[in-house]
Amino acid sequence: MRYRFGHSRGRTPVETDTIKTYPSRTSLKELQVGEAAHIVDFFNPDEIARKIEAMGLRKGKKITVLQKLGRGILIKTNNSRIVITSDVAKNIEVK
Amino acid sequence: MRKSIKVAFAGNPNVGKTTLLNHAAKTNLKVGNWSGVTVEKREGFLSYKDYDIHFVDLPGIYTLEPLSEDEWIAYNFIMKENPDVVVDVIETTNAERDLLLTTELLEFERPMVVALNMTDEANKKGIEIDSSHTKELLEIPVVKTNGRNGDGIQELLDAIIETAEAHSTPKAVKYGDQIEEFLDKIGEQRRNGKIDKHTLLKLLTENDGRNGEKTKLEKFYKKDIISIIKDERYAFANGLYREILKKKKSTARDITDKIDKIVLHPILGFFIFLLAMFLLFKISFDFSNPLMNWTEGLINNFFSPLVSLLLTKIGASEWLLSFFSEAIVGGVGFVITFVPLIATIYFMLALLEMSGYMPRIAFLMDKFMHKLGLHGKGMIPLLLGFGCNVPAIIATRTLENKRDKLLVMAMIPFMSCPARLVIFSFFAILFFNNPAVIIFSLYLGGILIGLLTAFFLRKTAFRGKLSHFVMELPPYRMPRMRIVVKIVWVQVKSFLYRAGTLIFAASVVVWVLLNTPPGIKNQSDSAAAYVGKAITPILRPIGINDWRISTSLIPAFLAREIVLSSMGTIYSVNVPNNKPDFHFLPAIEEQVNGFGAAVKESLLSLFSPSIKTLETENADSGLRNVIRSSFTSASALSFMIFLLLYTSCLATVAVMAREAGKKFALVFLGYSFVIAWVVAFVVYQVGSIL
Ligand SMILES: Nc1nc2c(ncn2[C@@H]2O[C@H](COP(=O)(O)OP(=O)(O)OP(=O)(O)O)[C@@H](O)[C@H]2O)c(=O)[nH]1
Ligand SMILES: [Mg+2]
Repeated sequence: MRYRFGHSRGRTPVETDTIKTYPSRTSLKELQVGEAAHIVDFFNPDEIARKIEAMGLRKGKKITVLQKLGRGILIKTNNSRIVITSDVAKNIEVK
Repeated sequence: MRKSIKVAFAGNPNVGKTTLLNHAAKTNLKVGNWSGVTVEKREGFLSYKDYDIHFVDLPGIYTLEPLSEDEWIAYNFIMKENPDVVVDVIETTNAERDLLLTTELLEFERPMVVALNMTDEANKKGIEIDSSHTKELLEIPVVKTNGRNGDGIQELLDAIIETAEAHSTPKAVKYGDQIEEFLDKIGEQRRNGKIDKHTLLKLLTENDGRNGEKTKLEKFYKKDIISIIKDERYAFANGLYREILKKKKSTARDITDKIDKIVLHPILGFFIFLLAMFLLFKISFDFSNPLMNWTEGLINNFFSPLVSLLLTKIGASEWLLSFFSEAIVGGVGFVITFVPLIATIYFMLALLEMSGYMPRIAFLMDKFMHKLGLHGKGMIPLLLGFGCNVPAIIATRTLENKRDKLLVMAMIPFMSCPARLVIFSFFAILFFNNPAVIIFSLYLGGILIGLLTAFFLRKTAFRGKLSHFVMELPPYRMPRMRIVVKIVWVQVKSFLYRAGTLIFAASVVVWVLLNTPPGIKNQSDSAAAYVGKAITPILRPIGINDWRISTSLIPAFLAREIVLSSMGTIYSVNVPNNKPDFHFLPAIEEQVNGFGAAVKESLLSLFSPSIKTLETENADSGLRNVIRSSFTSASALSFMIFLLLYTSCLATVAVMAREAGKKFALVFLGYSFVIAWVVAFVVYQVGSIL
């Protein structure tokens, strides 16, 4: 067997879309509590962007905004909940 | 021949690395339901079968690209220390995220074992990872574990041994054809020995390919080399995840989200926070107070007369008897009385840490904190400071920005720890009608001074823009009583240990100095008094005008509780010695009954809405009465404020010096002394007029 998965197809569907997602491209900062969207890209791919990517906020992942308090935004993706500040969120492009 | 194996536990934060290690090595390392509990390299040892296994617990890390200090520790260990086996702990429910680190670890091509932890939660969520398929694909052992009950630990140990013994390495990771081709070329260029993929990739980014491989690749992919490698890793991790995921139900709404709707509600959440803090205080006081009274009785009415009786029976000399009643009972015994309070407050703090609520406080409070130029994530070390300043200072390692780190570090010593609470509870009950209000105000006062300090530093030495932060919130987890009790026991044990060593030694020294030169009639002619009198002029303006108190403050620099044990030792001489007849059996019966009554009262206190124990007056003991004569309400208050603010704790100063440098620690110590003196002065002068 070739030991490479990068382009193989999954055995099970990983994500099923039920919630309506955000219609047009915007930054994560603009999302309201309860809204969901997919991550498209990072405007500024610096080390913080790479860290939050490693934390699970990756291109193509669906995220939901659970709460916003001050400059903090609580988002959920898969089973992790991550708080980021709005200056980080404004660098994340979502759709 | 026994063989030794060095095993490192690596993985994302809060996946249960320390929990598994505690099971495996039977250690009591600190666990908690939030990211960043482990911030230093910790160890455990186990003799298992024919092997001596040396476990190393590492701070959690999301990717091998460290930013904060704790991440650097994990990174450096993995890179440089060459453990025989790396155990990669994965949170099964978050495997998709965790597999990135797994991929990066695989690149090292070194012996490795995967532990799929939190299988219990995964089962509940309907997520299953095919462990045998994973094993087939990666050619390394994959073990399912459950840190909650220890399932799978045996298998994990066997897998570790098997891997170390066979020195079996994982199958090499393969990325895209293009990049692999270039990596092969670089590998060929340096045919001296085997090169692992991690090093090859590093060479590639450093443009060490001799024929411009880096540039060629960047041209081919039309992106920079860092992004190319990153995307290849994600592609691999993603593919692996899809391959090994067996089933996944469409996610039902989970309980954490429901709780968070209320607990993190912008308005409600704030009140819940206040309620939680109130309960923390109330239960700490009310539950522990009857038990503390009982402990005091046990020491003074049972243990002390019993030993005195025995000592007299064996014909011990007068000085031994006085040493026993003054240094041991008066000093060490006095401090031990407070064990129930210490245990209860640590129990409450453990619930806070194990439930998952603690990082949520940081999220809730960021709104206020950042107005003051502070970091929400900095809340966590501050909260830990209420448990003990020392680990709190070490916890600032999780902050990515040096300035934030020093800022938080300069606030932590103003967060009142249980040692201070012990002192407050003693003095507040003795001198005030509503001690709860006094103690609460002292805690708030400490926080206020901390905030002012930070504000001042932000305006002067630590100017600059406030940095952003990212922080993970764990799911709520029901604290396991066994673990909570263990955490409390570790704390109580260390308190008792301190009582038996440091506090005991301090009491002995104070007692000896009190009786030096030998044969003095009057305590105030002793060496102890001499030293105390020498520093009293500094303390007089804040209302402390008694050498017995000044003297007690000197050894208290080792640890604040010592102020009480020293005072106990000094004042015990003046306690009227009217020992009632002591009869062993009735005394035991009395203690047992007393204990039953105390437990009942403690439990009942949980059902009353207000803080009630602190309203009662319990000034029956002789020691209390003598100490009372040395203070007024105003001077007692200023004394408490002084001890609250002045960093009278060697361990704190030492750890500060280690984490931030000697200069920082010493300047801070001086600052805290001045602030403590000034605030105490103002309070005393105002209080004396009123
Ligand atoms: N339900 C469940 N909880 C677990 C399991 N293993 C660990 N936990 C809990 O998960 C939390 C985190 O455990 P730790 O052992 O502190 O995690 P860690 O990986 O050492 O975390 P850091 O040191 O912060 O990186 C604690 O509340 C544990 O009680 C498990 O298998 N199942
Ligand atoms: Mg840990």
